[in-house]
Formats: sequence, structure tokens, C-alpha cells
Amino acid sequence: MECIVQGIIETQHVEALGILLQGLCGVQKEQLRIHELCLKSVPNLGSVSSEVKILCDLVPPETTWTVRHVGGSMRGAGADQISVLVRTMVESKASKNVLRFFYALGYKLDHELLRVGFAFHFHRGAQISVTVSSINKMLKLHATDDAVPVTPGMQLVEVTAPATSENYTEVVAAMSSFCEHLAPLLHLSKPGISTGVVPTAAAAAASLMSDGGGTTL
Amino acid sequence: MPLKWVFYWKPNPGTTVNSQILAEVSQCAEAINGIKDGRWKVNLTYYKPIFRDQAAVSEIPRDFIGMSLPERPNKFYFTLKNHRIVVEADLSIQNIMEKLQSYRSRVTLVFEGVQYKLGDFQLRVGKVVPSHQETLRGIVMEVEYLPISSMEKSRQIMDDFTGIWQETLAKRSLPGQFVCTEPNFSEFGLADNYTPQHTAVQYATVMADLIASAQSVTSVRN
Repeated sequence: MECIVQGIIETQHVEALGILLQGLCGVQKEQLRIHELCLKSVPNLGSVSSEVKILCDLVPPETTWTVRHVGGSMRGAGADQISVLVRTMVESKASKNVLRFFYALGYKLDHELLRVGFAFHFHRGAQISVTVSSINKMLKLHATDDAVPVTPGMQLVEVTAPATSENYTEVVAAMSSFCEHLAPLLHLSKPGISTGVVPTAAAAAASLMSDGGGTTL
Repeated sequence: MPLKWVFYWKPNPGTTVNSQILAEVSQCAEAINGIKDGRWKVNLTYYKPIFRDQAAVSEIPRDFIGMSLPERPNKFYFTLKNHRIVVEADLSIQNIMEKLQSYRSRVTLVFEGVQYKLGDFQLRVGKVVPSHQETLRGIVMEVEYLPISSMEKSRQIMDDFTGIWQETLAKRSLPGQFVCTEPNFSEFGLADNYTPQHTAVQYATVMADLIASAQSVTSVRN
């Protein structure tokens, strides 16, 4: 399982967000460049139609491949009351021919995109990952070098943490608490519930840029 | 990593595999001063497609194999023989396959037995049984040479060792022999340097041979 919230931020404030995250996390940011291929099963294969994502991490020195399956999210009154989405998610690292393998099994490419940005991975009550990335589409099949932004001037922020059915309430609490620190720059919510940019972003970004993120939050 | 050749027991026409043969092969390993060095186990599962209605989709493979190998206990291997694909993944890939509900794991076969140490070689002899059953479906043997990872450089010494071993076995006049069909590893994108993927491809080949061998026995009977 994983816990996840998302938000958007204007590209002009991304540098300030990076400074804020650096101060909060105390770890170095990592470069992010992931080619994401979303595959769907051909008609009639499987008891239900299924989707799987193949992620290719393009950051040097070596490209690595991951298979990711995102399942249904937690439902019910309890799930509605929390501000974080809890869903099943399974990942597996794989050898570089895994895409060919899934094609052979009867999966077809539905769409592909390229995420470019940075990420922070740190422990703060839970193993939290924050990614800030622009989503790019390819004009030609697999042409990652010629990708263009889907939403120019806007970037996606995702905060995720792995969880289990036993510990997800603690993970949700840790994530919610962390996300409050980002509130001046962006609002984070469950995927699919867009809350837009926050009006205080420009002022907060200006403040962060002027003191270089030295302020302890 | 050390390299290995995987053999299966091919019974003579009109005969079948039985546990007495396995016992004699084990005795033979001890007779040439093989020192018992623990047990080994490989799990191999056949995955078959699930179709929503009766009409099968023509381009979908009839089955593929997933297996766990003792040399990489935290990894899982898939082989798709007709497509010449061998994939290495984490153990969690089994969970993903289950959640996709496009293929179902049908039959699991267990290869297990005793490991013998003979100088720089390791010899593993074991039975092939369906999981949770005791019905003997075959006998397999792994010959592993520890010092070298290159398939080509080790070929001579592997040939010499298996030659001596086969001669020793022949003296017992057992009703069959160990056979190794070397797959064309380069077709699977595998190089000369031995990896667990080489082992996975060998097991997939052994399975195909075992099935073909069992089918030929059935046709002889009929």
C-alpha cells in the first residue's frame, strides 16, 4: 500500500519549493527523469481489463526498470475523513527487457510520458518521498529527448509514503503533518481532487528566495 | 558467479523414471567421494492466460514459466521460451501478476534434492515433483563449476567432468541417462558470462524436454 497526496505549483516557484524542501528534509535532492509507459491488456485477456506501468529511470549512470501496479483506493467513511489517499501499490524492479515481456504477454502501450524534476527521500515519522516534476508528452513514440510539457508553466508535486494495513493511520498522520509545512506554497490533496494553486505562493516564494531557506520552520 | 549445466534423466524407451534410479545416482555421487553439502530447491510455476470468454486470443502465449532460484533467493525469473525472453524481477512481481488477473499460476513443480561437493565442482541431484505431491515426474542434475564464469572457457573442463560422471553412472546399467540440451543463450540476449538468467533458461529447456520425454513414453505405451 501507499499513501499519496498531490498538488500543483507554478514553475516560477519551484526553486523556492526546492529550498523549502531542502531545509525541511535535511537531505540532498535527487534528479528525476522517468519515462513512464502505461500498458493495458488486450481485449478478452484477463478476468478483468488490467493496467500496469513500466517505469524507466533515465538518470545516469544506469537506466533501471520498475514494474508498478496501482490498485484500488481505500473507501468508506474512514477513508473519506482523512486528507490522504490510501491505495494498494506494488512495485518490482526488473531487467531491461520487461517491456518486451509485457508486450509478449498481450499488453499494449496506452500512453507514455516523461517526468522531469527532482525528488527528496527522507524519514519523518514515515519513509516519505516528495517529487516535483513537469509532465511531458512525446511527439514521436519513445522520443524522450524531444518531449514537450503537457502543462507549460505548471509542475506536479507528489508526496507518497509506503504503508501497510496495520500502520497506515500513523503514516497518514506523519504525511499530513509534513504537508502542513508546504501549505504557504502549495495545497496538497487526494489525486483527482484538484485544488489549484494557492494565492500565497508568490509571497511565500519571494520570502524563501530572499533568505535562502535559512529560516527554521 | 559460478556456472552450471542442468541435466534431466531421459529414461530408455519403454522404461519410466523411479525413485530407485534417484537413489542409485545419489550412491554414485558418494562413491566418487562427493561430500554431502546440504539441500537445494527450485520452484517452477506455469502461468496460463485467463480469457473473459471462450475464444482464446491468438497472439497470447499458451503459458510461461516463473521460477525462484536458490542462487538469488530475493529474485524471481520469467521465461517465455517461444519469444526468447528471460526476465529478472523482484519477488513482488508475483504479487503484481496476481493483481493483474490476466494470467493464473496453474501448476507448480518443485525440484529438490541433495548437493554434493567434489573439489571445484558441485553436483546437485534431485527429484521433480508437483508441489504438495510426492509423484515423481523426473530427475534433474546440476553440475556447477565454481572457479569460472565464462561458458566458453569452462566448456572443456565441464565436458571432461560430466564425461567421467556419465561413465561412472554407466557402470550401474541404469535404464536411461542424463541429458543436457544446451539452449542458444544468445537468442535470449545472454552473453558468455554466466548469470542466474542462464539457469532460468536451462530450467525452461529441461521442462520442455521432460514434457516431450513424458509424451513420447505415453505414445510408446499407446
